[in-house]
Amino acid sequence: MNHPIIRFDHATFGFPGTIALEDITLSIPESEFVGVIGPNGSGKTTLCRAVLGLMAPLRGTLRVLDCACEELRCHHRALIGYLPQKGMLDRNFPVTVLEAVMMGRYGALGLFRRPSGKDRDIARQALTQVGMDHHRDSALGALSGGQQQRVFIARALAQQPRILLLDEPTTGLDLTAQHSVVELIQQLHQQLKLTILMITHDINMIRSRVDRLVLLKTKLFAAGPPQEVLQPDILSQVYGKELVITDKDFVIVEDYHHH
Amino acid sequence: MLELLAYDFMQRSLLAAALVGSVCSVIGVFVVLRGLAFAGAGTAHAAFAGVTLAYLLGLPPLSLAIVFGLATVWITGWVEEKGRMKLDVSIGILYTATMALAILFLGLMKTYNPEVYGYLFGSVLSVTKEELITIGGLSVGVLGTILLLSKELYFIAFDQEMAAASGVPARQIFYLLLTLVALTVVIALKTVGAILVFAMILIPASTAYQLTHSLAQMTLYSMLIGVFCAVTGVLLSYMFDLPSGPSIVLLATALFFLAVCCSPKRLHRVHPE
Repeated sequence: MNHPIIRFDHATFGFPGTIALEDITLSIPESEFVGVIGPNGSGKTTLCRAVLGLMAPLRGTLRVLDCACEELRCHHRALIGYLPQKGMLDRNFPVTVLEAVMMGRYGALGLFRRPSGKDRDIARQALTQVGMDHHRDSALGALSGGQQQRVFIARALAQQPRILLLDEPTTGLDLTAQHSVVELIQQLHQQLKLTILMITHDINMIRSRVDRLVLLKTKLFAAGPPQEVLQPDILSQVYGKELVITDKDFVIVEDYHHH
Repeated sequence: MLELLAYDFMQRSLLAAALVGSVCSVIGVFVVLRGLAFAGAGTAHAAFAGVTLAYLLGLPPLSLAIVFGLATVWITGWVEEKGRMKLDVSIGILYTATMALAILFLGLMKTYNPEVYGYLFGSVLSVTKEELITIGGLSVGVLGTILLLSKELYFIAFDQEMAAASGVPARQIFYLLLTLVALTVVIALKTVGAILVFAMILIPASTAYQLTHSLAQMTLYSMLIGVFCAVTGVLLSYMFDLPSGPSIVLLATALFFLAVCCSPKRLHRVHPE
């Protein structure tokens, strides 16, 4: 196994009086593609914010890139590419695709330094990797939801990250765009050997693509290869519903959207 | 027209207007994009409360205007950061409280002081050489800081959490932006007045917002519009014997509605593929 790039050791996160994630022990080695699943409120986004160094553990430890997360400095954070949950983008926000991707260089550049031609080349290369270079001068707001997600993935890649954190990257996209984005993520993992943490509700979409699944319900309920985690008894305990596994191994959680 | 420039007071007024127009319109880009529009209004009224207290105590008016302005924006930022209440509610409370303080301080003054009212309504034609030096120094400081940190300011205006996650010291930059807003309000207080200064921050940037899809272009357009309105407003004010602050702001407002009607974003709306 590769050296762990993210290591939780009995880590608990939350705010005084509210525990969002409790007693998490988990090691994620370099270049692993990990899917993080669980019902709403299970602590998936908290896990994401913790890895980004935006939340320190109340108890236990978390080390990211060999740093305690409370010591994560800006130059460490610049090595973590992050795609937040899709918000409502103001369609008139005055930013071109290339300007949005260039923002990915700002953390690594540091204060007072202007982006150079090399930074511009890196941003354009990231756009090429996601198949959007021909849109570089377009207004970001003029793109479709799937295209915007590709641009935001390019922004994360422009950081030249070692870790890619994706918080529900397919939410709000149509089925074609969902497949296209997930295929792109898998392709980037294979080509760039990035460590990827992808938070998702869509078990079917990622179960055949990730190396490991992490199942959360405030605690770490299960972690392992998808076929070990996606057992009906485990999932029904977490989601609280009966499950059906069809011939093609698709997992169906009844009343899924109510969670 | 050219003979107007022979007068010292007119040279000072036009220079002050150009400085205020440029600094307000540039900081306005970040205020508009970051959604801090109401914070600017609150800060202007807090700064005016500082001016009235300074006159009451016999202190330099701009010093207490800065103190009151900074205190207001920092409290506003802290409340937003902690998520204690909605931003518009906290600003609304500070806005009215500081205005109440200003009225209280005015009431405590024994005599009518026209200089104080100059800060409320603006009197660019009476800007003194010393005030011009102060306005110039603060303008260079604010514009220089924006130039040095423009990429970080753009990033937090676009998405502050994403900026923090990318390694940008987003929280510190946010407080710096609030500080620059307070200083800008103080710079513009004498020229356009506490009531109208906020319009000079908001309107040129909002006009530029209608015209372009690029952050860099929006900043340039906003600055050109701000300087044009401020200088032209002063000239109109002198030529037609109008109050300067309203002349500047109403000209900017007219340009805003023209931009809304002619906005390429609306006329040629691009539909997602």
